[in-house]
Amino acid sequence: MVSPLHCHWPMPPMTTFLDAASQRISTHSSDGDRQAFFDAFTSVGLPTTSDEVWRYAPLHDFQLDTFVDRPADAALAPDAAEDVVRRDAAVVLTVVDGVLTDVSGEVAGVTVSTRAPGADLGDRSYVERYRADAFALLNAALCPATIVLTIDAHTQVEKPIVIIHRTSAASSFANVRIDLGSSSSATVVECWFGGSDALVVPVSEYTLGANANLQLSTYQRLSTTAWHVARTTALIERDARVQQSVIGLGGHYDRARNDAEFVGTGATNELHTTFLGSGTQVHDFRTHQFHRVGRTNSQLLSKGAVADESRSVYTGLIEIENGARRTDARQTNHNLLLSPHAHADTVPNLDIRENDVVCAHASSVGPLDAMQRWYLESRGVSRDDAERLMVQGFFNEMTAVMPPSIAALVDRDVADALARTTGRTS
Amino acid sequence: MSELRIEGLRVTVGDTEILKGIDLVVPAGEVHVIMGPNGSGKSTLAHALTGRPGYHVTSGTATIDGVDLLTLEPSERARHGLLLALQQPLEVAGVRPVDMLVAAGADATTVAERVDAECERVGLRPELLHRFLNVDLSGGERKRAEIVQMSVLQPRFVVLDEIDSGLDVDALGAVARRLQDATQEWGCGVLAITHFRRLLQELVPTAIHVVSDGRVVASGGPELAATLEEHGYEPFRRTA
Repeated sequence: MVSPLHCHWPMPPMTTFLDAASQRISTHSSDGDRQAFFDAFTSVGLPTTSDEVWRYAPLHDFQLDTFVDRPADAALAPDAAEDVVRRDAAVVLTVVDGVLTDVSGEVAGVTVSTRAPGADLGDRSYVERYRADAFALLNAALCPATIVLTIDAHTQVEKPIVIIHRTSAASSFANVRIDLGSSSSATVVECWFGGSDALVVPVSEYTLGANANLQLSTYQRLSTTAWHVARTTALIERDARVQQSVIGLGGHYDRARNDAEFVGTGATNELHTTFLGSGTQVHDFRTHQFHRVGRTNSQLLSKGAVADESRSVYTGLIEIENGARRTDARQTNHNLLLSPHAHADTVPNLDIRENDVVCAHASSVGPLDAMQRWYLESRGVSRDDAERLMVQGFFNEMTAVMPPSIAALVDRDVADALARTTGRTS
Repeated sequence: MSELRIEGLRVTVGDTEILKGIDLVVPAGEVHVIMGPNGSGKSTLAHALTGRPGYHVTSGTATIDGVDLLTLEPSERARHGLLLALQQPLEVAGVRPVDMLVAAGADATTVAERVDAECERVGLRPELLHRFLNVDLSGGERKRAEIVQMSVLQPRFVVLDEIDSGLDVDALGAVARRLQDATQEWGCGVLAITHFRRLLQELVPTAIHVVSDGRVVASGGPELAATLEEHGYEPFRRTA
């Protein structure tokens, strides 16, 4: 199960990232189209802030060569919080720097395997789908293997399937594919740990057969020194439904692009994205809901808070194909400013090529409501406690739909982060 | 014996002076009622006492046992024994009433059962307080929820801003009985603002004060309500 690529590169310190990557690929040339993905990456090149979709990223302090591998910590200690996430899990996959190292638990109809990266998704090849995305191309070139979680048709998995990602290397490329057969249902939790001074680039793809139901929680709690550039894509067939929660608390730069492609009538995507920024973090959340056929539904709710000198941007694109009649697409984005030095941008985009649709978006950016705070204070709640209750309340709507184990961890981490934030500003 | 003592209180909202020197004493365990026409400054008194943003005290004091509340933060005023039950209680999405009450000083180990028990006493379905603060509650339900908060927190003094509006006869009776009991159970002093006499059919006042144009213009016993009923506020109206 462990890929031969799970060796840390024995490179002299002066090696550049690209030289190291090139050498890594050449030693595994038989394993899929890595060279083709790498060539595609090289021709796209790293983004700059003059690219509209990267204008909010602090690329001035991004250098690939700072992520050339360092000696790995062979005895990487598991984060104690992993135990919280494992609780009540049906199956637990442990993934270290993209390598599947352990699978515990067994459920009929659920299989875990690995294969060469870069398979097609839907009617598009990997290179075509990610042709403008340098980091997704780099992922396919460098990831140890694609980890495939398959839920057979008509299988109902009651308890969560948990994927624990530990990152210890200087760069970490995880590639995960989750395939749900028709009329199956599952709850999946993906959680990222570690990532000190690391570049973490996960690519996840989800396919849902007709009438399948996936509840997915993706929680990024990496070190605040990590660069996190993530991308997920859900391909949703007829009457299937994805409820996806994406939470970002860690990272120096946290970028999460979450796409859904609706290819069967009645397909539904309910996407919740949440972040809490502190220090000088940047959270950059992007969504693309692509309604290719009619009578499909997308409900997006993004709620984030920025404290200290942190920044956030939410960019949501709803694209509705000509002929995708009776599509119902809604986007809501609320941003809470917890400091006068924090900043949040919200950029909704609509590309609608069909008239017979319902499409709506709403957004807000502002501080905590002063009257609500006074109301709590007038009961005897101190100002700090009132603000803590209100900010945690702001996130309650998001954690309420997650499995209890991950919701508890998010609640705890939010409370800890807020305590540190208050401590800094008061 | 504790008392809430308001002396020479002047308050402006924006550029307008609303309270022009209020003097009032409410001893513990007594029920005092403030009546007056619209715009006389009744609600301003309630909000200024609790430090609501936008209400500026220009002079005067409001003390409980010698401590001037007006120099304290809103939460400290509540901790020192003054609680306001609002005319229009605010919704705070995501905040559970029990979490708020614990943060306000209620005993975490008993708060849930006390909330449920107090709901019963004012005819409120307890599950309405298991969700978020005042969210999806009707006006009348919110009023009763305020009384539940009061009963759990047991302040030395409670200021009720038009607690009677939005309550039907049965609910009003239950709220009035709860307030009357509070004066006995922990000696709660009650300052009730209303412009309806019907609250007084349920809640027996120790004293009634008439406020007009930002001042207390008359004080008396329960019989004052009958005079107001007969002649209205006109005989008490101040001419500027």
